Amino acid sequence: MSNNPTPEQLTELEEKLKKMSPDELKNFQKSQCIFCQIVDGKVQSKKVYEDNKIVAILDINPASPGHMLVMPKEHYMIMPQIPEDEINHLFGIIKTLSQISLRALEVEGTNILIANGLAAGQKSQHFMIHIIPRKEGDEINFIMPQKTHSDEELEAVRLRMADLLMGKKQSPLVMEDKMEAVSKKESVFPTKDESWNNSEQKDNIDLDEITRIFKQ
Amino acid sequence: MEKCVLCEIVNGRLPSKKVYEDKEILAVLDINGANVGHTFIIPKSHFTIMEQVPNDILGKSFGVANKVSKTMFDTLNIQGTNLFISNGVSAGQMVAHFLINVIPRKENDGINLQWIPRQITEEEMSTVELKLKSAQEHIPPQPDKKIKKAQVLPVETAIRVGDNYLHRQMRRIP
Repeated sequence: MSNNPTPEQLTELEEKLKKMSPDELKNFQKSQCIFCQIVDGKVQSKKVYEDNKIVAILDINPASPGHMLVMPKEHYMIMPQIPEDEINHLFGIIKTLSQISLRALEVEGTNILIANGLAAGQKSQHFMIHIIPRKEGDEINFIMPQKTHSDEELEAVRLRMADLLMGKKQSPLVMEDKMEAVSKKESVFPTKDESWNNSEQKDNIDLDEITRIFKQ
Repeated sequence: MEKCVLCEIVNGRLPSKKVYEDKEILAVLDINGANVGHTFIIPKSHFTIMEQVPNDILGKSFGVANKVSKTMFDTLNIQGTNLFISNGVSAGQMVAHFLINVIPRKENDGINLQWIPRQITEEEMSTVELKLKSAQEHIPPQPDKKIKKAQVLPVETAIRVGDNYLHRQMRRIP
């Protein structure tokens, strides 16, 4: 991983990977995984939390001070591999650790980020959750462009997903009225400007109140 | 207080593109999402930020988020998913109702959730470490008592469940 392989070595490795059984693949990855070695204590890290299933360390190349990597000790690559009970446990801890960073680091917010797959920006083969403490003007710019999609396109995707998630009963006819309503509105969700320029509303949902509770 | 737009969606007063619903959780498409399929996972009760969401509801929300992410792999011909949460205005939160973004990803789709790595001194790292550790005395993390010993899904099962995208993912060269 660290020293750049030649194209020949890559092809060889690819061939080798193709022949491996899922178990062999997993073991191979584990043996190559720096985070498994961190979990085992073979590689040094700054652990801020640990229990029998999870470890949280400080990212050595953080987006901001206090950037944590929370990972299951077991080697999973992506979230779909993680059993449900472990997900519950994991996110209970995520919530507390986010709360702790709000309190201890006196930041104004946190981002929780998960990347499944290279295209999503995943950089390590060990599943992890990022907790990134945020402050106004911290120069972290996550870019998520808002795009306009045709109603047909959205509805086609909605049906495919809903069929799998709720069973095959999502008749498009049932949605007709709502679809019509949706197409009349430009956006169901307000843009940032609309919702936050209203100072009264902003006061109501300002985090100050919440962080104040933490500081008491 | 202004009406919460997500509460209005939850109670059906605003239209939405629903992909999943149960007693506590609603999942709807973002109609102006960066990619088609971008989904919001919304607890039906109103919470502003994650820290206010009770553990059971939060666990269910992430369970649904995970299912939605799996479903995207199975139906949308994508190469990845992001789960993304903004807690607080400074973190980019736009609606005062806690939600989880599940975003289907393709190469070069214009989304950028990367950051410029900051160089932090060893000293600063240690200070942060200490602060985070000592704060845990005030808010102790509560490991889930129900968690038994490591109960690991065999890889084959996971792969069968997730079909071949897991295979594809695993065979990618790090």
